[in-house]
Amino acid sequence: MKRETIVAGHGGQGVLELATWLAYSQLVRGRHVAYTPSYGPETRGGKVRCYVVASDDPIASPIVETPDLLIVMNTPSMDFVPSLRPGGTLLVNRSLVGDVPAHPELHVVEVPATQLAADLGPSFPEAGPDTSIAANAVMLGAVLALEGGRWPDEAPIVDRVLRHYLTDRKAALLPLDAAAAETGFRSIRDPSSERAPPARTVAA
Amino acid sequence: MSAVLRYETKLGELPTLTGTPTHYCAGCEHGTLTRLLASAVDARGARERAVLVSSVGCSVLAHEYLNLDAVQAPHGRAPAVMAGIKRVRPDLLVFGVQGDGDAVSIGLLELMNAANRGEPISIFLVNNAIYGMTGGQMAPTTPPGMVTTTTPAGRDVASTGRPIDATKLLLGLEGPSYIRRVFLPVAPTSSPDTFNARGALEGEAAIRHAFETQERGGFSFVEFVSTCWVNWKVSILESKRYAARVLAPLFPPGLYRDRFGVEGR
Amino acid sequence: MSDPPEFLKGNEALAYGALRAGLTAFYGYPITPSSEIPETLAAAFGRPSYPRFRVFLQAASELEAINLAIGSAATGARTMTATSGPGFSLKQEGISYAAAMELPLLIVNVNRAGPGLGNLGPEQSDYFQATRGGGHGGYRTIVLAPDSVAEMARMPSLAFALAFRYRTPVIVLADAFLGQLKEDLELPEVAAEAVETPWAVTGALGRERHVLASIHLELADQNRHSRHLQEKFATIGRLEQRAEDVATDDADVVIVAYGICARIARAAVVALRDRGCKVGLLRPISLAPFPRDRIDDLVLSGVRRFLVLELNHGQMVDDVQLAVAGRAEVRSVTEVGGLLPSMAALGAAVESMSDRPASFVDAEEVDA
Repeated sequence: MKRETIVAGHGGQGVLELATWLAYSQLVRGRHVAYTPSYGPETRGGKVRCYVVASDDPIASPIVETPDLLIVMNTPSMDFVPSLRPGGTLLVNRSLVGDVPAHPELHVVEVPATQLAADLGPSFPEAGPDTSIAANAVMLGAVLALEGGRWPDEAPIVDRVLRHYLTDRKAALLPLDAAAAETGFRSIRDPSSERAPPARTVAA
Repeated sequence: MSAVLRYETKLGELPTLTGTPTHYCAGCEHGTLTRLLASAVDARGARERAVLVSSVGCSVLAHEYLNLDAVQAPHGRAPAVMAGIKRVRPDLLVFGVQGDGDAVSIGLLELMNAANRGEPISIFLVNNAIYGMTGGQMAPTTPPGMVTTTTPAGRDVASTGRPIDATKLLLGLEGPSYIRRVFLPVAPTSSPDTFNARGALEGEAAIRHAFETQERGGFSFVEFVSTCWVNWKVSILESKRYAARVLAPLFPPGLYRDRFGVEGR
Repeated sequence: MSDPPEFLKGNEALAYGALRAGLTAFYGYPITPSSEIPETLAAAFGRPSYPRFRVFLQAASELEAINLAIGSAATGARTMTATSGPGFSLKQEGISYAAAMELPLLIVNVNRAGPGLGNLGPEQSDYFQATRGGGHGGYRTIVLAPDSVAEMARMPSLAFALAFRYRTPVIVLADAFLGQLKEDLELPEVAAEAVETPWAVTGALGRERHVLASIHLELADQNRHSRHLQEKFATIGRLEQRAEDVATDDADVVIVAYGICARIARAAVVALRDRGCKVGLLRPISLAPFPRDRIDDLVLSGVRRFLVLELNHGQMVDDVQLAVAGRAEVRSVTEVGGLLPSMAALGAAVESMSDRPASFVDAEEVDA
């Protein structure tokens, strides 16, 4: 097994964090992983693009040129779509990008990640006024669902990843991000859930 | 260099002196200071746990004359080298000799930051108001109007700034624990052609106090106002008179800080 | 689930590797993209797991950092400083003095794009500066180049071993990509070996005094010392060449690449071999001494085409040319500015070389 992912968005969306979580979720499954943060000053609003490679074998190159999975968190990052491998998956944050036209060679999945995260606000008043920052955790859950996992079987992976990274002051975000990941997962694999509006899979 | 090397000043016999004839010019306070340093190290019985850091300038060969473990630092960097030694070996007595060009011009950052951190080291600055080793160029401490090879019309402060007072700069920092300035040359007295050597006595005491401060964990700094008759292009005696007349008012001797009260003991 | 392996940035891995190699003193000045090294060490400072790590100090400048390091190294302590391009330039003065005084000292340069301020992307444009001495006067240092996060962690141990064996500064030349890359790894074991430093400045207690100085005013003295340094580096050149071979046995084309370029080349070798192209990789691990003997072996075994891949305008290619000495074709493929060469471009360059006769052929081969 080898999978190459690009995560793209703007600064402040937790793109680096999401890519790190995805890498770590593969690491705990016993795979080799390589994560490359994007270059350039990491100021808010800047363009961010990360590579994640996961493989059963040692990884030759950590650079991703033709990803199997492209996660697009904002509209400018749609620029990366042509790099997707034919048959690859385009996972889009529909809240910010909007509807994506069908593509004959790609599997397009839209998740309203920012909206789903914002909707969790009332349940997590301690997380602050705007829970849309958990959009990246929604996407973490969505990716686990796309990989074919089942809920709650995947819950321990989510827990392990979040506990590894959400320490010290960030630990307060753990319940919100865990719920966001579950929401993201169910948006793909559990369309009947009332809490989570279904993701839209764009038919070719 | 060869012009300087023709001098062979002997400093006498002490355990901390190698006995090697120095390259210092006759009448230069570098020789005096070397002898005083050896005497102060021996008075402390510290020869076998002392480390000398020599710098670039006329003090570059100090390790040839002081019979100690020694490191020779790049130009201006002696305070950093001293601090690097002391941080891993706090049991050692670490001191260095620097000139005004080394400490106050090219090495001002290293001096100020070692002082600001209160590194427990002792720095002895020989301020003779000129670059001696390189042949008489303007120093950061050169008085206004002094003729040097790079200020042939005299130092013009409008263009080159005023002399830097290193002692007062350090006084602006909280880090140093002991700061003293000593007028080291023999000094003219009221009798014509009669000089006193009080500076050497004060100098050795200052070195002992600096060492005591270091071993109590503080940064110590002693500036020695000195002469350089060769590059000032005057006679030895005239250099002492000039130092008393021009340098002493510009760089007033005295005790500027003694946080541990080592001089009161 | 069992404990997963470590998952660290290259810079973090290097810092932990240094700690496990017995690092005693670290001095550094912040500069992107190497600042995770001092940050990681600052966080580890005072932890009981690293009792030998006694000094951490953020210096006021790159110059102060290298000279603090010189002071600590003079006492025989395992000492390291880390920086990136512009800071590496500033440290050259100190590296020259350390080489002259024969101080074991580890200097890490996480190469970013330049010249001048450049940018924070990866380049290998400090190759010449690192491998040719870099500062004033005639000297060389050992230069080691990791190509993975795991190797970033292993490098300090090797670097310290060589630094103390030969009493010389050792440079670990990484690049911005490797510094920021995160990979899974097992950290090396904590080194226990004590190193003899009979030359160190420790106070002349019951022995002859030790003087570490780089000044030799007598011409004959300087002549002797310079010859001694050059002989030492010649010995290092004979004994310490290091390289990794990947599928070079039957290769028509051998890519020569280090650092992140070697990773790209690894992937290219796999992809091109799948397409039937006989390509291999020679990865120099020691850039200085350059593994010229391995190049010589490859030439003698019949390799007639070398492709040198680097993130600069062509620097290591000079060393490959020197080793090849006109006996094979050497082509340079480069990228600069913080950009990386694409697999497609590298693949096309390799295939264009392998699809036709080598442009260098000696007379006998033409006759054959």
